[in-house]
Amino acid sequence: MYVELKNINKNFGNFRASDNVTFSIEQGKLIGLLGPSGSGKTTILRMIAGLENPDSGDIIIDGVRVNDIPASKRGIGFVFQNYALFRYMTVFDNIAFGLEVQKKDKAYIKERVGELIKLIGLEGLDKRRPHQLSGGQKQRVAFARALAPNPHLLLLDEPFAAIDAKVRKELRTWLRETISKVGITSIFVTHDQDEAVEVADEIIITNKGRVEQKGSPAEIYKNPQTPFAAKFIGESLMIEDYGRLKGFSLDKEYPKAVIRPDFVSVTKPGNEVYPNSSATGTVEDIFFRGNLYELRLRVNGVKLTAYRSLEDEELRAGDEVSVLIYRLYLYNDNSVKLAENDVFRNVNEVFI
Amino acid sequence: MKESKVVKNILISLAVLFIVIMLIVPLVTVLAYALRHGFSVFWGAISDPYAIKALKLTLLATATSLAVNTVFGIFASWAITKFRFKGRQFLTTLIDIPFAISPVIAGLVFIYVFGRIGWAYPFLQEHGLRVVFAVPGIILATIFVTFPFISRELIPLMQAQGTDEEEAAALMGAGGFRIYRKITLPHIKWGLLYGVILCTARAMGEFGAVSVVSGHLRGKTNTLPLHIEILFNEFHLTAAFSVSSILVVLAVIILILRNVVEYRVKKGDL
Repeated sequence: MYVELKNINKNFGNFRASDNVTFSIEQGKLIGLLGPSGSGKTTILRMIAGLENPDSGDIIIDGVRVNDIPASKRGIGFVFQNYALFRYMTVFDNIAFGLEVQKKDKAYIKERVGELIKLIGLEGLDKRRPHQLSGGQKQRVAFARALAPNPHLLLLDEPFAAIDAKVRKELRTWLRETISKVGITSIFVTHDQDEAVEVADEIIITNKGRVEQKGSPAEIYKNPQTPFAAKFIGESLMIEDYGRLKGFSLDKEYPKAVIRPDFVSVTKPGNEVYPNSSATGTVEDIFFRGNLYELRLRVNGVKLTAYRSLEDEELRAGDEVSVLIYRLYLYNDNSVKLAENDVFRNVNEVFI
Repeated sequence: MKESKVVKNILISLAVLFIVIMLIVPLVTVLAYALRHGFSVFWGAISDPYAIKALKLTLLATATSLAVNTVFGIFASWAITKFRFKGRQFLTTLIDIPFAISPVIAGLVFIYVFGRIGWAYPFLQEHGLRVVFAVPGIILATIFVTFPFISRELIPLMQAQGTDEEEAAALMGAGGFRIYRKITLPHIKWGLLYGVILCTARAMGEFGAVSVVSGHLRGKTNTLPLHIEILFNEFHLTAAFSVSSILVVLAVIILILRNVVEYRVKKGDL
């Protein structure tokens, strides 16, 4: 394991920012720390960087306990949320800063900075000041500046938060490709699950200072291991009396359930694949979402959300439809359980 | 939109009227009064040895308090904005004390500390030092009164800049002095200059605190404002206004300097 956190605790006054955080990361991986704001993800990042000190616990990088090593000696590149570019310096000087601090010779600095400017595709802009750059360009410069002194580990705090939606998509792909080109172990913090899923090799979900789950994006989607993970990931909707849904019966140990729109299949009456397991519902509202329709349904008194392809036969508010629910995540305060519709039940039932 | 135009014009004329009555008229009066008996009388008043002594003392007190307060202002604003510590808020409030209390009280405080009845008096006596009714007292009083100007200018600026850039630099291994020179100073230099200008203006014009500790010894502990007061009290009105005009001219020079600096900044640097 390249980076390891062992039983890290950190309090800010009465606020518990890290509660016994333990995880480890393999070399060369791109890790997303995902959680709502205030969940302690940035604190974890800052402690790894050495910008904060944990109250207790060990941080190990490449086999060395770094708790007592100052931030500047840890060999870490850090990209700040708002980039923290040096506003009175040019792009070139920004990227060269770390190398100048290390007293590298001029020729090397020039070569290295040139190399990085090429990597980030900002050739010809090396004389610009940060305020003359777009958000995306600033982010690339911050990235290059962090990489300049050849760090072993790259940390990025909300790297896409300050960029408008359109550029963000582009930049995500760019960042993922560039990091894999450079081959550096990286950890980034985000509150946006789309971002985490798209960019990260592995996701660590944090909540209230604790690590909830760590796994590949697909694992996190398919097998949430804690109630929080089940609720947080996907367009999750909480329902209480899930026993009223056809194909499910109330489990006394699990009073509530999480359902995602992708678990719900909507068909016109008469076209069902599993007619016996389908229930009749009413379309209450339809929203056009560009590449699909989002339906608000009421099925036996339970409100649900579902998606419908634009290619399918169009529905209107008030229409009667046939609704099949594939699965639910049942949960109580401590655990989650996957529940499949009775039709599929003989095939599998997974306890987590 | 017609209504807003009316409002705009009313507001502008009110502001202009107020400035004319409160600022322009008095300043013009000073100059007019000073030159009322012709240039030779004016020159006589300002080339009077006591006036020149007073000017020198004023400049000395201003320069010293400027140096002390600049150094203090930079340290204090640095400490307050870049670190979190207990009593940080309290320290910020303390710095503002000279703004809040009357300069006369400040003067009295110095008398009670360093004067004949003060607790530091025996110590000063032993070392043959005089503070009250002497030049050091005047400098101390000026420093006290202009104490917050520079740190007050810098604190909001440095707060706005946050600690991110410094943190980023420190993370790359830059030392404190390099961070200060390369990142902090370029950001605060115009604010610093502005603070210096305000501090200069205030130091030159300081009357209350200095008046208490000065003892009004002509040619020894008289600053320009005190000299003006003495002239005025002795009914040398023209002389009083002539010497006042020195302060007015200095103030105008400072303001012009300030504007030149500001203009340069906007045009060239950014």
